[in-house]
Amino acid sequence: MSALDRSTDAGPLRAAVGRDRALSACHAAVASALAAGADQASAFLAARNAGYTRFAQDRVHQPQDICEWTLMVRAEVDGRASRVATTDLEAASTIGERATERARALAVAYGHLPALRVAATTAEADDQDASLWLEDTAAWDTGARTAAARATMAEAARAGGAAYGMYGHAATELATVTAQGVSRYARATEAVGGLTVRIGDGTSHWTDVDRSLGVLDLEAAAVRTVREAHAGQHRVDLPDGTYDVVLGPLATGALLERISAFGFTGEAVADGVGAVARRPGELVAAAAVDVADDPRARRGLPFPFDLEGTTSVRVPLLERGRVAQAVTDLASAARSGLPPTGHAHIAREETPHAVPASITMAGGATEDLLAGVERGLYVQRLWYLNVIDPETTTLTGGSRDACFLVEDGRLARPVAPARFSESVFGALHRVDAIGSEILAQPLMNVWNGCVSAPAVRVRGFRFGGAT
Amino acid sequence: MSAAAASPPTAHGWGDLADDPHATRLMEEALAATEVAGLTFADVRLVEAEELRLYTARSGELDERSEHNAGIGVRVLVDGAWGFAAVPLTGPGSPGARAPRLAAEQAVRSARAGSGLARTELPPRAPSSGRWEVPVGLDPFAVRDEERHQLLQEAVHAASAPRAVRSVTAGLNAKRQHKHYADSEGSRQHQHLVESGAVLQATAADASGVQRRSYPNSFHGNTAAGGWEYVTGLSLPSEAARVGEEAAQLLTAPHAPAGTASVVIGPAQMALQIHESVGHAIELDRILGDETNFAGTSWVQPADIGSLRYGSPAVTIVADPTLPGTRGTFAWDDEGTPAVRRTLVDEGVLREVLSSRESAARHGRQTSGAARSDGWAYLPVPFATNVYLEPGTGSLPELLDRMGDGYYVDDNRSWSIDDRRLAFQFGTEVAWEVRRGRRGRLLRGFSYGGLTPQFWGSVEAVAGPEEFRSFGMPCGKGEPKQWGFLGHGAAPTLVRSVRIGVMG
Repeated sequence: MSALDRSTDAGPLRAAVGRDRALSACHAAVASALAAGADQASAFLAARNAGYTRFAQDRVHQPQDICEWTLMVRAEVDGRASRVATTDLEAASTIGERATERARALAVAYGHLPALRVAATTAEADDQDASLWLEDTAAWDTGARTAAARATMAEAARAGGAAYGMYGHAATELATVTAQGVSRYARATEAVGGLTVRIGDGTSHWTDVDRSLGVLDLEAAAVRTVREAHAGQHRVDLPDGTYDVVLGPLATGALLERISAFGFTGEAVADGVGAVARRPGELVAAAAVDVADDPRARRGLPFPFDLEGTTSVRVPLLERGRVAQAVTDLASAARSGLPPTGHAHIAREETPHAVPASITMAGGATEDLLAGVERGLYVQRLWYLNVIDPETTTLTGGSRDACFLVEDGRLARPVAPARFSESVFGALHRVDAIGSEILAQPLMNVWNGCVSAPAVRVRGFRFGGAT
Repeated sequence: MSAAAASPPTAHGWGDLADDPHATRLMEEALAATEVAGLTFADVRLVEAEELRLYTARSGELDERSEHNAGIGVRVLVDGAWGFAAVPLTGPGSPGARAPRLAAEQAVRSARAGSGLARTELPPRAPSSGRWEVPVGLDPFAVRDEERHQLLQEAVHAASAPRAVRSVTAGLNAKRQHKHYADSEGSRQHQHLVESGAVLQATAADASGVQRRSYPNSFHGNTAAGGWEYVTGLSLPSEAARVGEEAAQLLTAPHAPAGTASVVIGPAQMALQIHESVGHAIELDRILGDETNFAGTSWVQPADIGSLRYGSPAVTIVADPTLPGTRGTFAWDDEGTPAVRRTLVDEGVLREVLSSRESAARHGRQTSGAARSDGWAYLPVPFATNVYLEPGTGSLPELLDRMGDGYYVDDNRSWSIDDRRLAFQFGTEVAWEVRRGRRGRLLRGFSYGGLTPQFWGSVEAVAGPEEFRSFGMPCGKGEPKQWGFLGHGAAPTLVRSVRIGVMG
């Protein structure tokens, strides 16, 4: 057994596994699967070495240094496939054999299945793009993050409030090897900041995530969040009604988080449900709205390929307001007749399927979105959104943190959070201005998932529901 | 047809960490490495887990995956500051394995970086040691492929019968874990867990839209602590036929109305109602503000504990991880506190909360033993354990009769609640009109909403133990987000004056 490859000296962040070891494990898994009689085999290793400093009011209450990895091999026999995964990298050959044995057993028990005709994937030579690994992020060690947390908590305390948040950095790795000759590896840094400041009943929130710590501009974010929380005191209830709303970048991002549920995946196209299958080309949003899954985006968490080794390509989801394309993995591409786009996803307690993992909405040129609102609402953040009706793209959720009435183009009284149920397409259809500032936020339960978006102005967004 | 011969201890005898003395040696090694100046507490969790998931669909395609992980998490309290580090084991037990020491040293470094802020003090606790395992009738990992195959095929076939059904997914899952715990106070604990579960979803679609029905629960199916006998007891094929039919019927069912009505809420939906509006709301770390930046806070204030009127006298809510067979069943929580039944809400009054040692100490109370973590890689935080609504008396028909006119609803379709766990909105997959106590038309698109204390204050009656059902479900909180695996249960519950049709 080899010991964990991690220095005992405090120092810059390093990849948990490393290129050679990661590819070696994947190759061993694939080779052993083929040697055991697999018709097809592939393997990936996903790893994450991360440090998180979570703070609340006056303490670092949850510091966590977490190193995780998983090696998963997929073997196919007579059209039946099985995946086996482990954290024991010494067991790469063992799991390759085991996956093949399981696939063979499935073929016996369930019968032969014609293999899906999946498109061949090719490797690229430039996987380790310089923009993926940033030394400023790697150097943001526990001491530096703790110092930043102290400064933030002190800033909030000086304003008469308290700060709650998490500052973290991570090294993400992915290696993929297939029997068809794909052999890819990339590593990437990740800097993440989240902060909520509470002063009296006023709150404000900020989140951002990027490959580069510098992009986050932590100090400015902290100062701004404290200022907004101070201004957000003495909330009044928001009367039910329809408002012209300026959604901040985090709120816009949240609105887009569930876009895959509206039919922008190969599975949905194959099943004949959802927007791409049923409403292709239809104008569902304002013409200024461009939403894509962009694995090469400059903001957020770009990554060049997926778990299957397929190059991840930019997929327009809403193009000039019209329903455009769907993301796929190899299986859904084969079933739907769409090209493979490199969006394979395997999550806990779910069947593998394609997901948009780098959702990006293009920014606009409007500097002051409030200026066009005579009477309306500014919403910083949306919370706990869930799909009510995927066909009508209706979500339910609530506003959270810094929300203000808008009067004559300026922020007026702060308002308490309120519930809403709205159609995402309906809201995007009523967008009449898009801001330039982009914020990125993690996409929950999606490996390396991220959504980045600008602020938007929506004419007519209804608040009011269960309260 | 029967499963392959499997009897205890087969289900508990797999894996590198099945051996308690071996695990203890690894944990001792880690504990030894935490012995530095200023250390007041350390604990070590060593976990090995294997999860098997098998899904199939109408196309006959299968997705089978087996995932194994093993690792160690070390938590220390040095000079009043926490530190935590977790690393995987690559071949646990190999001579010279450095993972325990590396994790311990990193945890100490992390704690030292955080010192100088407000100090955390843990009151001492008497050590508790022992071994516990989930009783298993039939090892779910030993079931023959043909048996799994036949069950899934029958379920898919039955659910696919209506022409309008476009897709069906059926799945089986099993998980086994060795969880070992040691701390600087002398506790040495060994838990060997097995769980089994199943899921079925049928989706019907036509020009009017898409409708979904699920069994045994819409939220990840259902998983219980136990063996294959739990799965065979679900009657999956016969229930699948019902689910497929209902999915198709929903396409042409009338839309549920809006207004105010009496509602009997079925066990599956009540489980989520409990989870969202009680379980999370009474997590003490939320009440104290620790989750302000992510999962949120609570409408419950620290001073409310012990006296707050949470619901009507018909509402008694209990946390009981000692009850067998749920995803929230254990002998010790993930920081070594022995499992004890606790009444959280007693006849409508909030008496106790879900807490960890740290959160309880900050509030000047004893922990309720609800510290849970997502395997070896994450810190334990307060999560629900096995939190359920105590049943009342009577059958479902009797409860409907008591309601008179209203609706009977079940199986969650959509859910949302604010960050204080106060204002919520739920949609259900199914609803039936009830007139004079009798179930009538099936309705689609039912939703209801309200405020937590008003909702629970409007509970008039709960059906009896014969109608009680329990559900296992995952849940997320923390930064980085971690999953907790919980149990919630209820019998059908009659609630008056519910606001329905809350589509904004």
